[in-house]
Amino acid sequence: MAHVSTHPSPSPAAPRKENGPPLRILVVAAEEGGGLVQSARQWAGDAGLELETAPDLPRAVRQLAAKRWDVVLALLGEHADEDLAWWVDALRGASGSPRLVAAAQAPSMGLVLRAEKLGVLDLLSLPLRRDDLLQALRRVRAAAAEVPVALPAVEHHAVGPYALVGQSPAMLEVYKLMARVAASEATVLVQGESGTGKEVVARAIHQNGAEAAGPFVAVNCAAIPENLLESELFGHEKGSFTGAITRKIGRFEQAGSGTLFLDEVADMSLALQAKILRAVQEREIERVGGEETIPVDVRLIAATNRDLREQITQGRFREDLYYRLAVVMIRLPRLADRGDDLVLLTAYFVRQFAERYRKQVRAISDRALDLLRNHAWVGNVRELRNVIERAVIVTADDTLRAEHLPDELRGEEASLPDRPQGGTTLLTLAELEARHIARVLAHTSGQIGAAAEILGIHRNTLTRKMKEYGL
Amino acid sequence: MSAPLPPVRVERALGLLPELEAVAPLRALLVSISRPDERSLWSSSGPYLTLGKRGIQPDELRRHMPRAFHQITQHLQALYQAYVEALDAQQRSDASGVVRALLQAGRLEEGVGRPTQARAWYEVALRVAEGLQDRRPEVQSLEALGWLALELGRHAEGARHFQRSLALAEGEFDQAGAIAACEGLGDAALWQGQWAGAQAWYSRGLRLAQSSVDRRAVGQLERLLGVLARRQGDLAGAGDHLRRAREASEAAGAADEMARVLNTQGQLEAQLGRHGAASIAYREALAWAQRAPRDPALELAIRLNLAELQLDAERFLEVDEELRRAEQVAIAGNLTRRLAQVYILMGRLRGRQQDETGFVFFEQAIELCKTVERAAATEGQVYLEYGLFRERLGQREEARAYLERAREIFDSVGEALERERVDAELRKLSA
Repeated sequence: MAHVSTHPSPSPAAPRKENGPPLRILVVAAEEGGGLVQSARQWAGDAGLELETAPDLPRAVRQLAAKRWDVVLALLGEHADEDLAWWVDALRGASGSPRLVAAAQAPSMGLVLRAEKLGVLDLLSLPLRRDDLLQALRRVRAAAAEVPVALPAVEHHAVGPYALVGQSPAMLEVYKLMARVAASEATVLVQGESGTGKEVVARAIHQNGAEAAGPFVAVNCAAIPENLLESELFGHEKGSFTGAITRKIGRFEQAGSGTLFLDEVADMSLALQAKILRAVQEREIERVGGEETIPVDVRLIAATNRDLREQITQGRFREDLYYRLAVVMIRLPRLADRGDDLVLLTAYFVRQFAERYRKQVRAISDRALDLLRNHAWVGNVRELRNVIERAVIVTADDTLRAEHLPDELRGEEASLPDRPQGGTTLLTLAELEARHIARVLAHTSGQIGAAAEILGIHRNTLTRKMKEYGL
Repeated sequence: MSAPLPPVRVERALGLLPELEAVAPLRALLVSISRPDERSLWSSSGPYLTLGKRGIQPDELRRHMPRAFHQITQHLQALYQAYVEALDAQQRSDASGVVRALLQAGRLEEGVGRPTQARAWYEVALRVAEGLQDRRPEVQSLEALGWLALELGRHAEGARHFQRSLALAEGEFDQAGAIAACEGLGDAALWQGQWAGAQAWYSRGLRLAQSSVDRRAVGQLERLLGVLARRQGDLAGAGDHLRRAREASEAAGAADEMARVLNTQGQLEAQLGRHGAASIAYREALAWAQRAPRDPALELAIRLNLAELQLDAERFLEVDEELRRAEQVAIAGNLTRRLAQVYILMGRLRGRQQDETGFVFFEQAIELCKTVERAAATEGQVYLEYGLFRERLGQREEARAYLERAREIFDSVGEALERERVDAELRKLSA
């Protein structure tokens, strides 16, 4: 039964009552806020809601922390865009991962798209219409119909703090190549998109090679400020430059009799590339500010997420160094090309993080799995790992559900096939166009020229459409 | 069609910009619109992304330039307008009006982060005010100079201004001026670790605020007494002050002050080991900050506390996310000193994860400290934390060198409390 705080009478126009357990909803708006509170109270009975209210965000925070909520219906103010971001932020700390339904006066297309990007369940226009609210709430109820799927058993090969997981044909080819190369002393270049596991592969080669007893030293060339990278690699003598307050042994020396892994090697300046080339060829280095020549005995494995051949063509990478590094080349597949490895990796990460955070997670819902399968995974395995870690942190039961996934993934629910209790919103052509433009703009980091090129329209046309859709 | 060119890294872009005051707004604009290269977000260098590694598209900078020119022109217009108003007042022989206009010019300069220029305007205002029979303009000028001195870390100088303004305000029965002076004197004492002095000044200010039924000031002073009690370890007393601060600030409808009270409440709860309550207090503080007039520094202070709380609880993923949000607020708001503090915490996080590459955050923080005025104490803080980071990784020699550098810096700016902390760490290292 619905609990209504002050006005329990149902709307006379209500055609039917919602089935299932009541949804706990917190309506956040001042009493005079566009009639939102009154409308929600009026329909609470038919909608099967247990409703409470708060006048504003600060006062809602305590209520959000005090008990579990299914939905928060929030009125956005004059600065709707900013309000939206604050709401999403506030809900991160709320109990029960409630879904946000926002309401605004005449929302622009830009606001609708931003809401979608932030994972807001729905953005409703004021004055609130009963059917719109019920439709949004049906999508929340659909979550309750999720079916748990047991996590499959996963065979993995431990590599230090990481593991190699996967049985897809693409990965089997990688394993074969790794086995062959580990036994040799050849320099290896690992190529693959961000997050495909280049360092794990490098560690596995080291672990199974002749240098296994020596250290594995990893340097991320893109993370280190350009002016410090040389001293990080080769070391420096005390006082050789401002900030050299002690003598430093560089990574080449630290990796002696072991493996030096140069990650994101394409991010090095040409001058430094020349020094690396010399170290690889001559097997000796000099510390910055030092005069002594120091012999080094390391196996070098390099990795990059760029196309080094293209970098060479553009004059950004030395061809001679490329041939020195790419004696053996291992190309890692994208997660999207690894088929059911996604499920195995998911299961592996769920177990790993469940153990770390002392949770009893044994299953994942079919809906959550659909969302994971449907996602583009630009960050590949690293992104998946991150998503699962976050989900395990927020879950309180034994099944990982769609509600535990981050907002960005939940925002993609609309593109999943319809479910029995869920609703499907059919888009107008204009809405579809606006969404596509927004995606392309996000892809080009807001660069209008580049976006216009991708869309195949003139820059001025794009600017006009952006204005039209409030992007 | 050719692919768009990759963005220029901020570290390179700034390398092309000389350290000239005339291009300071351009530097600020460049930093504020920089963003992480999408390709690096999920790369292995993504977790180590700092300001220097963000990217800037020349085209985008070009597009934003009219907005920057508009802001510069607006600022200059307002500044010149304030000066013309001072001249108008001078012509009318309205010396109070002259002081008012000059103080306004100073506030405008302070608002755009030009403290030295602001100070020059306030000093002219004070000179004019000193010749007047009505002493209130002098009280206001001294107050402005006092707050600015505290902001610049010149605590003793600030205290001198507030002492003078208090004496004059009391002579003029200027209750608001006297309350502000007491608060300033309390702050100066607090920053210098003079707990008894701070207690006396805040209490005196509170009595004055209560007698003039100034709820906002009551809330503010109760909060400051709460801060002081917490620092002295009187946690029950701090709780009482903060409860009263909350009541007064809520009654006064002061959303910004509510955010500050709850921020302090969060620190208190954390000190009491009540992680959940602290987290709720910080989130509530953020919600109040959203209702208040936009103040990125306040939002940042709360986010940094929240991140520190999560760090203590070893919730590393959440720490990282919170710090990235804080970083964005600091960059968009051009809050360089605060940004350095964000990077200190990021470095500390990596240290807790035994991740040596975390040193990049300290290096970036040091770079940032060199580019802003009044950042010596922050730089000392960076070296202190850098030393602790190295110590955690077992690099004792480097740890000692960084701690000694921190000690030198704290010595040079007279930060006695921090210097003591460094000494204690050095003693631990030797033991």
